[in-house]
Amino acid sequence: MRRACLIISILLLISCGNSCAVIGRGKNFRPFDENMLTQVTPGKTTASEVAILFGAPSQIVKLSNGNAYVYERSVEKVTGLWLVVLSFGNFDTQYDRIVFFLNKDDVVSHYGSSFKTGAASYAMPF
Amino acid sequence: MYPIMAVVLKQGQHLMRCHSNNIKWIITAMLIGQVILGCVSFHIDKINVGVDIPPPPDEFKAGNTSLQEVLNRYGAPAEIVNMEGHFALHYQRTMGRAGHISIGVPLIDVLKAGPELTARANLLSHDTLVFVFTPAGLLEDMVYEKGTSRPLWGTFWKMGP
Repeated sequence: MRRACLIISILLLISCGNSCAVIGRGKNFRPFDENMLTQVTPGKTTASEVAILFGAPSQIVKLSNGNAYVYERSVEKVTGLWLVVLSFGNFDTQYDRIVFFLNKDDVVSHYGSSFKTGAASYAMPF
Repeated sequence: MYPIMAVVLKQGQHLMRCHSNNIKWIITAMLIGQVILGCVSFHIDKINVGVDIPPPPDEFKAGNTSLQEVLNRYGAPAEIVNMEGHFALHYQRTMGRAGHISIGVPLIDVLKAGPELTARANLLSHDTLVFVFTPAGLLEDMVYEKGTSRPLWGTFWKMGP
C-alpha cells in the first residue's frame, strides 16, 4: 500500500513537472464602432452614409426589395492544458455583428446589432 | 528419493513464484514507463461558437411579428438568406466535443517499428433559430432546434447520419 502511494506520488510529481499550459487569442478585426449606431435613423440614413460611418461591409446580401449590409468581426480565445498523459483544449469564438436592411432607394429600413465578443472566455472543457 | 524430490519441487515452486512476481513487476514498470514516456495519451476538446439562443417568445406570431421586433430581440443574425422574394434570418450557436485516445508501444529503437492505436471522436451540435419573412418584412414562419441539450454520449452513438 505504501509502495503504491509512493509510486502514485512520484507519477503526480512527474506530471506536474512536465505539464504545460497555453492560452491564445485570435481576432478577425473590422474597425466599426457600435456607438455610431446612434447616428443611424431608419427611413433617413442612406447606404452611402452607412458606408461612411461603418466602412465597407463584410458581406452584402441581395434581397428582392433591396439589400442587406452585414458587418461582422470575431474574437477567439483558446485555452490548453497538457499533463503527461492527459491534455485539454477549449476554443471559444464570439462575434460582433451589425446588419442594415436597405430598401430599393438605398435607405435603411431596419437594423439590428449584437456585440458578444466580450463574452469570449478562457476556460477548461469541463 | 521421495524427500529429495519434495525439496526440489518446493524449490521449483518458490522459483516460479519469484519469477511470477518479477514478471508482474516488469509489466507494471513497463506500463508506468509507457505512461511517463507519453505513449498513452488522452485529449479532450470543447468548442463553442456563439452565445446561447433562447427559444422564440410566445408573442412572436406568423403574420403579426415584424422584422424589427425580431432584430430588437435577437440582434443581428449569423446569416441572411435570400429565398427568391422571401428571406430568412438564421441564428446559430455551435458546440463541439472531441476526444482522442492514443496507445503506443515504444519499440522503435528495438524493432524499428512503433505500433500505435489511436481512437478519435468528435461531435458538433447546433442550436438553430430560423425566421422566414415575407418581402414586406412580416414574419411568415419560424423554426427552433435546441441541439446542444441532447445527451452527448447517446447522440454520438445514435444510429443513422
